[in-house]
Amino acid sequence: MSEGNSEKEKRKIKSEKKMRDIMTAYYIDAKTARQNNKKVAWITSGGPVEPLIAMDIIPVYPENHGAMIGASKMGVDLCEKAEKMGYSNDLCSYARSDISCATVNGGPIGGLPEPDMLVCCNNICGTVLKWYEVQARYFNIPLFIFDTPFCHTEYTKEAKRYVERQIGEYVAFLESVCGFPMDQDRMKEVGRVSFEGQKLWQEVLDTAVHKPSPMTAFDAFFHLALIVTLRGTQQTIDYYRGLLAEMKDRIEAGIGAIPREQYRLLWDNLPIWYRMKWLSQKFAEHDACLVADTYTSAWCGAMKYIDENKFLDSMAEAYSRIYLNIGVDEMANMVIAMIDKYQVDGFVLHSNRSCKPYSLGQFDIQRIVEKERNIPCLMIEADMVDERSFSESQISTRIDAFMEIIKDRKN
Amino acid sequence: MDGMTEFRTIVDQPYEYLQKLKNRSGKKMVGYVCSYTPEEIILAAGAHPARFFGTKRQIHLADSHLQSYSCSVVRGVLEEGLSGRIGFLDGMVFPHTCDSIQRLSDIWRMNIPFGFHLDLVLPVKLNTSSAQDYMVDVLKKFRTDLGRALKADITDDALQKAIQTMNAIRQSIREIYEMRSRNPRLMSGADLYTLVRAAMIMDRERLASLLAQTVSEMKAGAARAAEDGSLKRLVLAGGICNHPDIYPMIEEAGGAVVWDDFCTGARYFAEPVSEEGDPVSGIAGRLIRRVVCPAKHAGLDRRARHIIRLVQEHNARGVIFLLFKFCDPHAFDYPDIKKSMDEAGIPVLLLEIEDPLPGEGQLRTRFEAFLEMV
Amino acid sequence: MRTAGIDIGSITAKAAVVEDGKILGTNVIFTGYNAEAAGVKVYEDLLAETGLDASSVDKIVSTGYGRNSVKFADRTFTEIMAHASGANFLKPEVRTIIDIGGQDSKAIALDERGKVKNFVMNDKCAAGTGRFLEVMARALEVDLDEFGAMSLRSDAPSKISSLCTVFAESEVISLIARGEQRFDIIAGIHESIAARISAMIARVGLTEPVMITGGVARNAGVVAALEKKLGVKIAVLSSAQANGAIGAAILASSL
Repeated sequence: MSEGNSEKEKRKIKSEKKMRDIMTAYYIDAKTARQNNKKVAWITSGGPVEPLIAMDIIPVYPENHGAMIGASKMGVDLCEKAEKMGYSNDLCSYARSDISCATVNGGPIGGLPEPDMLVCCNNICGTVLKWYEVQARYFNIPLFIFDTPFCHTEYTKEAKRYVERQIGEYVAFLESVCGFPMDQDRMKEVGRVSFEGQKLWQEVLDTAVHKPSPMTAFDAFFHLALIVTLRGTQQTIDYYRGLLAEMKDRIEAGIGAIPREQYRLLWDNLPIWYRMKWLSQKFAEHDACLVADTYTSAWCGAMKYIDENKFLDSMAEAYSRIYLNIGVDEMANMVIAMIDKYQVDGFVLHSNRSCKPYSLGQFDIQRIVEKERNIPCLMIEADMVDERSFSESQISTRIDAFMEIIKDRKN
Repeated sequence: MDGMTEFRTIVDQPYEYLQKLKNRSGKKMVGYVCSYTPEEIILAAGAHPARFFGTKRQIHLADSHLQSYSCSVVRGVLEEGLSGRIGFLDGMVFPHTCDSIQRLSDIWRMNIPFGFHLDLVLPVKLNTSSAQDYMVDVLKKFRTDLGRALKADITDDALQKAIQTMNAIRQSIREIYEMRSRNPRLMSGADLYTLVRAAMIMDRERLASLLAQTVSEMKAGAARAAEDGSLKRLVLAGGICNHPDIYPMIEEAGGAVVWDDFCTGARYFAEPVSEEGDPVSGIAGRLIRRVVCPAKHAGLDRRARHIIRLVQEHNARGVIFLLFKFCDPHAFDYPDIKKSMDEAGIPVLLLEIEDPLPGEGQLRTRFEAFLEMV
Repeated sequence: MRTAGIDIGSITAKAAVVEDGKILGTNVIFTGYNAEAAGVKVYEDLLAETGLDASSVDKIVSTGYGRNSVKFADRTFTEIMAHASGANFLKPEVRTIIDIGGQDSKAIALDERGKVKNFVMNDKCAAGTGRFLEVMARALEVDLDEFGAMSLRSDAPSKISSLCTVFAESEVISLIARGEQRFDIIAGIHESIAARISAMIARVGLTEPVMITGGVARNAGVVAALEKKLGVKIAVLSSAQANGAIGAAILASSL
């Protein structure tokens, strides 16, 4: 089962260190923004960040912070603090940990830098609206809501008109908070850079098509941080170029992400941040590689709607039609397309108590996948940050049984 | 049969009532689950709008579509659909509100074989001009979509007439609430609950005349009845209230519910539609001005201010929040509203509820303790 | 070839010895707090009872929650595989297995060859499991073994709607306080379990014939409620509780 140290070293993704350095520098920048006369905006993970970059505002992502809190296993403590403040333990654990963290400056980086403004885009959920209202009251700062009507079956012309008008309102909001006008050329440039970054991120994810896959979804969860937080910067392009080259080298050298890739799996929903290592080892022990996921591809899944030369205008549709803002049946179609693209043997669904838009509908998606592709599916009941919703022995048994079925089918 | 008996029969046996109404009137039956549904447009199409609140039965069919962490309203409505018990519906309308109803709409569309399915993707924020314009646009689209689904021509005249009917209904229920607020003994809380619930189910023309009759009877009663100063006046707040049993429990403990902020209560009759100008813009205007549901944004403290104003206007001693388990929008609002209430010196009791209610003993104890406190 | 299967569940530990398609014996004991010791004891007692010598057993497979604490096993399988294998051995035509154990309940769909096609397990909470019944038995002060017979006397089962074990317990207590008959309450509890299980069955798809395994299979009231809810006949074998251990022994014979 175990492999030698040199084997392990060979399998390690070298770009990782650079990524940690970039993220550290980014958070130092954000935390010292005030000294440097820069403004900080908190923004939702699916929100239109490019205008912030163009206005030289530092975007900060409470959701990325939530992921860090989860990964550093500080979620339970912060969630309990929020519960003491009166927030129900059924609420989103990102929101719970962020709300309490703001009051105690706790967590792995001693809290986020205080925001000058909040930008909330509801294309990922209705939860962010409520969460950002709480923070807008707490910090007593302006809140901009970018309202992207849900696309159950279509992106209507009424919605299009509404979202496009809000782009103008958004820019006006930023100009009024900053006190200077947006540089349109700069905005165009940021748009092109953002598009380029998304393209590169998709190419990185695409390398997992290769057998054996040079990366796992667990790697994608980690390397995702830049496309979320620094989308629209040159740094992101440079980093993903390097990462892509490394993945191509690994393919060339036949280096797989796990020692023996026998089975390929697709992951659905957010990661279980506090159990990444345990889960990746658990699947690797069964020679199973999670090659792709529906989550990390959400940051490049709506590229087809973007016109890189008219970014600001075309982003209305792109931000409205991301993975979580569409109907369950369309999500199932995207899952099936990924099953085919990545040639997977099984589908693992994380039923995430924190995330209703992502999780409600999973039973139907599972049924559709079983019917259309006849591959085994596994549902894991957990939560992305709150470890109290994770039962190791139950989940361990489910994974073992699921892998027994996959092995049985394949051999 | 007096008005209250009629209301009670309808609330006890809503499906039998709706089936009969359909047979008798030949009207198409259109179901909905949220108080942002523009009933006027459904009425103007010659159809009948009927609200669904969950299920009184055990939920099992819905459990293979929705996880246990979705609320019992959403699970219950799906259960009714999957069981076929509401197969008499000609269609179902889903206004966009919370994350759970949003997915309920998808699951309904994918699994329910009967009737048409319509989404009404309302704006989430209400306080900007682009959002207000979108509200009008999306209601116009709904008018077209519904007309197509029902093969009906929805005219401005029919809309105006429906607006007048609905405004009359809203006005009557408001008067009943106000008379009861002045003298809670005029009508028991359970009866008020029954009346408002029946209002969302029954034929609206019949409702309008029954309500007018109830109002005049109450006025006559009000002149005779003495007011009772000993009652401890309370306001209830929350989303959907499916629990008539709580009213007698509160009353037996010496309390009286004098107003509420429920989606299935005062929010239903809040604000008239303007009878001037374009009818669809009028309907949109009401949905924008109306008391806000926490799934929508109309500023940062509108709900807290509204509840405090209710307490002051109705001279209440405290507020009981009945919050559905797994209802995220309400659960997010609660701590800050509670803080505002504390600052205003208003005592608050929070009950997290699910269908069905917890043991009666537990609730009674809490109500009694709260009433001793206020 | 002589093989053994050990199934360590959260409440009981089971062992079975099988030889060339014949069951030589089965044994059930309480697991207690020490799963490892329970594994040794349930197996040694069975050997003593059947007069078999440990050295005469060729292969051993362990299964169940405590499968990894059975140090003398040659291999482990999950209880999903074990129950499928046991069902396929005892009744090859079975296509759906309902297994209700102490802390887990499962619906397992089998294909034409008796292989696992798909399975669904209860979510994290205990509703719809043996543990749920234990809690209710305590609240009602009725011996769990009497549950089945008592509930069959009921014509009007009480309504128990809470999903949560703790809420359901208080619901039961308030039903007692309201003076409802114990057998009606128990029948209501069984119906609530049947509702939970039928939702899981709907997710894997119901194909007949259906068989029930696990300790709760001994409860005729649960079986009757399930049959009513699903509208099918459910096979209950006398070896239902030991089915996982038998299946494990069968899996051991192909090692």
